[in-house]
Amino acid sequence: MSAGTTAVQQRLKEIWETPKTVYGWFSTVDHKEIGHRYLATAFIFLIIGGVEALIMRIQLAQSDQSWLTPEAYNQLFTMHGMTMIFWYASPILSGFANYLIPLMIGARDMAFPRLNAFSYWTFVLSGILLYVSAFLGQSPHGGWFAYAPYTSLRYSPGYGMDFYALALIFLTISTTVGAINFIVSIFRLRAPGMAISRMPLFLYSTLTISFAILMSLPALTVDCVFLLLDRRWGTHFFDSRLGGEPLLWQQLFWFFGHPWVYVVFLPATGMASMIIPVFSRRPIVGYPYVAISTVLTGVVGFGVWLHHMFAVGMSDMAMSFFSAGSMTISIFSAVQVFCWIATIWKGRPVATAAMHFAMGFLALLVIGGLNGIFTAIIPVDWQVHDTYFVVAHLHYVLIGANVFPVFAAFHYWLPKMTGRMLDERLGKWSFWVMFVGFNLAFFPMHLAGLGGMPRRIYTYPAGLGLDGLNMTATIGAFIFGIGILLSIINFFKSLRTGQIAGKNPWNADSLEWETDSPPAPYATVHIPTVASRHPLWDDHDEEYDPNNERIFDEGRETLSTTWLDAEPQSIMKMPEDTISPLLVALALMLLFLALVFQWMWVALAGTVGTLFAGYYWLWPRQEEELA
Amino acid sequence: MSFATLVPVRRMSVPLETERGTFAMRLVILTESFLFICLFASYFMLENNKSRWKIEELPKLNFAIPMLVLLIISSLVLHWGELQVKKQRYGIGRIALALTILIGLVFLTLQAFEYRAHWEHLTPYTDSYGSIFYTITTFHAAHLIAGLLILAYVLVLPRYAPALESPYRPFHVAAMYWHFVDVVWIFVVAILYVGPHF
Repeated sequence: MSAGTTAVQQRLKEIWETPKTVYGWFSTVDHKEIGHRYLATAFIFLIIGGVEALIMRIQLAQSDQSWLTPEAYNQLFTMHGMTMIFWYASPILSGFANYLIPLMIGARDMAFPRLNAFSYWTFVLSGILLYVSAFLGQSPHGGWFAYAPYTSLRYSPGYGMDFYALALIFLTISTTVGAINFIVSIFRLRAPGMAISRMPLFLYSTLTISFAILMSLPALTVDCVFLLLDRRWGTHFFDSRLGGEPLLWQQLFWFFGHPWVYVVFLPATGMASMIIPVFSRRPIVGYPYVAISTVLTGVVGFGVWLHHMFAVGMSDMAMSFFSAGSMTISIFSAVQVFCWIATIWKGRPVATAAMHFAMGFLALLVIGGLNGIFTAIIPVDWQVHDTYFVVAHLHYVLIGANVFPVFAAFHYWLPKMTGRMLDERLGKWSFWVMFVGFNLAFFPMHLAGLGGMPRRIYTYPAGLGLDGLNMTATIGAFIFGIGILLSIINFFKSLRTGQIAGKNPWNADSLEWETDSPPAPYATVHIPTVASRHPLWDDHDEEYDPNNERIFDEGRETLSTTWLDAEPQSIMKMPEDTISPLLVALALMLLFLALVFQWMWVALAGTVGTLFAGYYWLWPRQEEELA
Repeated sequence: MSFATLVPVRRMSVPLETERGTFAMRLVILTESFLFICLFASYFMLENNKSRWKIEELPKLNFAIPMLVLLIISSLVLHWGELQVKKQRYGIGRIALALTILIGLVFLTLQAFEYRAHWEHLTPYTDSYGSIFYTITTFHAAHLIAGLLILAYVLVLPRYAPALESPYRPFHVAAMYWHFVDVVWIFVVAILYVGPHF
């Protein structure tokens, strides 16, 4: 390496690095730093939600236990569901996307780095807002889908459901700006040559869910606004005596809710589509089919929401349509599953820990998908509606198709993030313990559900034949927890004693493995160019740049390309570190906290604060003008 | 030792990027459209319970239509202002912007009068019709106020000249949002004000 190159690296580092000070910590806009934080915060929410689940499993281990009151149990399962679905499952994928997407597309950062920081701060503050309720002893207690009119003020007094509505509205801000950021980044920042037909499959899934987020989340916002207005401001949206419609809540909620299932599922399939080919030592089979079925899952996912409501009494026509829609979805999932199986079949699979988790994902997805077909068939759905069968189904899908691929992704990408390898042996142990524990915990729930055990009950009488199944489930849940603990131990162990990973320990094909581990603040010295679907497996030298045209060392800049063919189009100026995203997020926090208690003057202060912090954020800076 | 002596750097000769903000605003408009689609869908769903609505009289058009005309004029004025900015007549552009804000304020004043006239026989507390009617119109008003604040920010920006090659096109992006808010009002008038008459 010549002296010249190191000087360039030094200079790029000065441009892109955030100073390691307290102010720097709060003002960084580096996507890698934000990605770390997203992953860490979402993982903490996973642990919190997991502990809540274990407390519930202790309560249910035997019949007629009463050390949790019914109200405490209701709050626990509601907080467990909300934490897992909203503050873990989606943010952890955002964390991976934040960290990986700029590296995968060869950009220096996301398209809107400050918005990215804002998205993180609002995510963590909305989670804090939700858990403020736990300290007041007034957590939401209406289940994660909070059906009206049960959640109206009359039947749910206290602040619990206000926290529910406002924390969710707050979170939608974070998720929406994040989705906008991903879409613009993926469309405008791909490395020259990375045409849309050469994009890594993870980008397809992130793109699909980002559009799904933009189109579905407003329904949740509107729903939560209606709920708040009904509870605190005397309107009658869900009050049938005055022309309100209780089903309105369900319609809006599931119009949002079902696409959301794909929001927490598709990026995980995208990650599997990255990991399985690398460990099968061959390109994925049927790349275009996987890409198309990803997009179609997102599209058809908007046409199935009524299948959550088969039991409310709808016309046969509506039910048949949505039943058919729900079964159509399984075709797209099956296409992906068969492509993965074919990839393994035709390749020479290497049984790493990450591959173990990916295979576990495949197995559980198939089980979760098959019992999903049960629930898509209306008569069966009526039979198992609101029983533990549904609990089993949704956990097979959400844990099988989110937690397992996320753990595969941790085992695969953590060496890139930390620069050190995880222990493979401990990783495999962790997998087997988790896999056995998971099936032990959730398979018996199918039987309990078919045997008639309703979900969301704090206890059950003896002699119904449910004791053994529930005890097994509780033991399984704890074994599953131990499996997760093994992975956490593995992570901390690797930070101290892990093998040095090097640039590309897995000999993988995508661009993020072109950078150092952990990547330099500027990623690669030259913006890479791409000549095939598998940049690091072909003969093309990504960083070949004899005239140093693609260094961009005159300030924070990156290259923008056309959205279809990724031809170089323009140079994007990137913002410096700034604290303004945090200020806006804090002002919003004040606003939402004040709204819970209807302190209207404080809410006004929060609004004005948001406004001025926003103006401060957007005001043209001196350095931008001089650049 | 300066870095330039070590490595010959010839930057790729492409212009500075200016489309990011526009792209993001399109996506904002996409998600905001779905917000209003959900609100209108709720209106239609609640309409199934029409028999329980205590409607004394249908919404009058005497305010809504002039308000619609005002907003369309404001959009035209703003667009004309944007064309002027493109021709580097920044002063005129700023005046057009100020005029747009003024029309927006007149709109809000009219809406206050309209609410007062309406309030006598319908409040949000009357029934689900009152709830959805006031919620949709207030949502629109809130978006209009947001639009006004964005326009006000652009109005006080130090300069519009592209000499600095700002990556964002504040005038254009703010105008996009304003046009969107105007289009929403067309739907509000059609669905909430004109629809019940047929």
